[in-house]
Amino acid sequence: MNNISLRLDKLKIEKKLGFMTHVVVGYPDLAGTEKLVLMMDKLGIDFIELQIPFSDPLADGPTIMKACEDSLRSGTKVKDAFDLARKLSPKISAPLLFMAYYNTVFKYGTEKFCKDAKASGIYGLIVPDMPIEENQSEGFFEACEKNGLIHIHVISPASNKKRLLINKKVARGFIYVTARQGITDAKKGLDPKITQYLKEVKSVFDIPLAVGFGISSRERVNMIKEYADIAVVGSAVLDIINENPKDYLKKVESFLEELKK
Amino acid sequence: MPSGHFGKFGGRFVPEMLIPALEELEVAYESSKKDPEFKKEFLDLLKNFCGRPTPLVFAKNLTEKLGGAKIYLKNEGLNHTGAHKITHCIGQGLLAKRMGKKRIIAETGAGQHGLACATVAAKFGMECVVYMGETDIARQRPNVFWMEQLGAKVVPVEYGNKTLKDAVNAALKDWIENVSDSYYLLGSVVGPHPYPTMTRDFQKIVGEEIQNQLKGAEKKLPDYVVACVGGGSNAMGAFNNFLPLKQVRLIGVEAGGRGTKKGDNAVRFKGGSVGVVEGFKSYFLQDEDGQVMNTHSVSAGLDYAGIGPELAFLKEEGRIEFESVTDKEALDAFKTLASFEGIIPALESAHAMAYALKLAPKLSKKEVIVVNLSGRGDKDLFIVAEAFKDKNFYSFLKDFLKNE
Repeated sequence: MNNISLRLDKLKIEKKLGFMTHVVVGYPDLAGTEKLVLMMDKLGIDFIELQIPFSDPLADGPTIMKACEDSLRSGTKVKDAFDLARKLSPKISAPLLFMAYYNTVFKYGTEKFCKDAKASGIYGLIVPDMPIEENQSEGFFEACEKNGLIHIHVISPASNKKRLLINKKVARGFIYVTARQGITDAKKGLDPKITQYLKEVKSVFDIPLAVGFGISSRERVNMIKEYADIAVVGSAVLDIINENPKDYLKKVESFLEELKK
Repeated sequence: MPSGHFGKFGGRFVPEMLIPALEELEVAYESSKKDPEFKKEFLDLLKNFCGRPTPLVFAKNLTEKLGGAKIYLKNEGLNHTGAHKITHCIGQGLLAKRMGKKRIIAETGAGQHGLACATVAAKFGMECVVYMGETDIARQRPNVFWMEQLGAKVVPVEYGNKTLKDAVNAALKDWIENVSDSYYLLGSVVGPHPYPTMTRDFQKIVGEEIQNQLKGAEKKLPDYVVACVGGGSNAMGAFNNFLPLKQVRLIGVEAGGRGTKKGDNAVRFKGGSVGVVEGFKSYFLQDEDGQVMNTHSVSAGLDYAGIGPELAFLKEEGRIEFESVTDKEALDAFKTLASFEGIIPALESAHAMAYALKLAPKLSKKEVIVVNLSGRGDKDLFIVAEAFKDKNFYSFLKDFLKNE
C-alpha cells in the first residue's frame, strides 16, 4: 500500500489533524532543502511536498514564484529533485510528494517521470496544470497509477459544483483545497463564504481534505480544523526563509512546533 | 478530442481555479458567434472606429527595384492605435460587454497590447487595469503615458523578473479574484482555449480583405502571403482565409535576433521543442528541463518564447513555412520600406518585409507576394533612434530634459 494512504488511515484512527508542509527544491539551496525536510519529518509532519522549480509557475503566488526563480538562478536541475528524494526518502517517515508543473513532467517523459519518481521514494504527484480534460490525450493519471503514485487533485473556491463532481471521479488520496484569496484578518476568522465552501467540498468528497489557505499561525490552524483533515503550510515557510537567511532553520522549526501544538 | 486542440497542440492546461472562468468565456463566445447583431456591431466598429478595411497597396518602387515578383503591402498600420491588435481587442471588448463585465484586465510587455485594451475600454466605458512589470514600465514610459491618458490604471508588478511573465501572473490572479465583473483580455493567438480560436476568428478579416482587394487589383490569388510571427495573431489573421487554398504559400517570419546562439533570438521552430506553458501545448524555447529560456529581438512584439498552437499544428502539417530574419535585416528592411515606399513599419512588420525583399527577386514577374505589415513604426521611435545611433535625437532628449 502507498505510504500516503497508510498515513491517512493512521490520522483517521488517531482522529488527529494532519500537517503537510512545502519546500521548493534548491531554495534557499539544495543542502538547505535537505535540512528543512529532515527537520520537518522529525517534528512529525505527515506529508512533505517537494516543489520542482519551474520558470513559469502559473498557479503560484509571488512568494513561491520568487523561490522558484532563486532556485533556478542558482542552477537547480530537475535531476536534483530526484537525487534529493532518493537521498531523503530512506531517512524519513513522512511520505514525500513532488509538486511540479506539467511541462516538467512532459519534457522528462511522463511515463519515465512517474517511474523514476517512484524509484526515488516519491508517493504522490501534485501537478496543478493537468486538468482532467487534458489527461485524455496525455495519460498522466494512468502513468501515475501504473507506477503506484497517487495523483493529488487541487481545487479552489473558484471550482463550482460541476467541477467538484468531475474531480470527485478521479481524485485519489486526499483532495487539496487551496486559494490565493479569501483569507480575512487572522483575528476576524475565516470569511463565511470560505467556511460555506469548505462544507460543500466536504459533502462532495469522501476522501480527506487538505486545506491550504495562507496558514501562517496557530489561530488559522484552529479556524480550519473543523473543516480540514490536513492543514497545508505553504508559503509561510518560504517567507520565514526569505526573511531569515542565516537562521531560517531554527525559525522554521519553532514556527512549525507552534503550529502543531 | 476536447475542443481547443489543433492536432496535438493547444488545449487548456490550467489549474482548476481557472477552468470555470474559461468555460464561461467559451460558452459566451460560442453564443456570440451565432448572433448576427454581435457581428454587425463588430464590423461597424471596425469600419467606423478602427478604419477598416486597411489598404492593400502595390509597392511599385520596390517591385521595380527588385525585378521579381509583384509586392503588395497590406497596411495594417493604418488601423486605429497603429496595428492589427485593435481588431481582436474590439472583438473581445464586445464580448466582455455582452457578458456583463465592467472591468477589462490585461497584461502587457512592451505596452502595445495594453494600449489597445485601454482604448477599447475607454470606447466601451469600462474600467481598465493593465499589469506591467516594473522593468518594462521603466523601458516603455511613452506607452504607459498613453495608457494613463486613455484612463487605464497601469499597475506595476514588483516581483519576479518584473517583466511580462510576472504581469501575466498578476493579471490572472486579479481575474480569478474578480471573475464575476472582470474580463481577461489576452492579446494573441496563445494561452488556453478559447483564446487562440477566438483571437484568430476576430483577426481573420485581414485575410478576407487581402483576397478581395487583390482580386480587384490583379484578378488572382496571391502566390505568397508573408507575415511576422510573435505569438501569431497577425499571421493567423492574414493566413486563415488562405488555408484551404493550397496554391497560396504561407510564410511566417520569426525573429532571428542577434544570431543563432541560445537566448539571442526567438526562433521557436528551429531552436525550440514541444512543451506545455501558460496553459497550452506548442513549441517553446526551453532547455532540456523544460525551463522557458530568455529570448531576444530588436522588436518587442516578437521576443516571445512560445508560438500560437494552431501555427505549430500548421507548421507540422506543412501548410505554413517558417523563416527567420535577424535584427539587422529587419532594421535594413525598415529603412528600405521607408525610403522606397513611404511607409514606416513597426519593427515586427519589418521582419516580414525583410524576408519578402529576399524572396521577390527569386520569383517571376507574374507572381504576387502580399506582405502583411501588421503595424506602423511610431511606437518604435526610441528603439530605432538608438539602433541608428541618431545623435540629433539624443541631443533633442537632452534639451527636452532642460525644460523640466
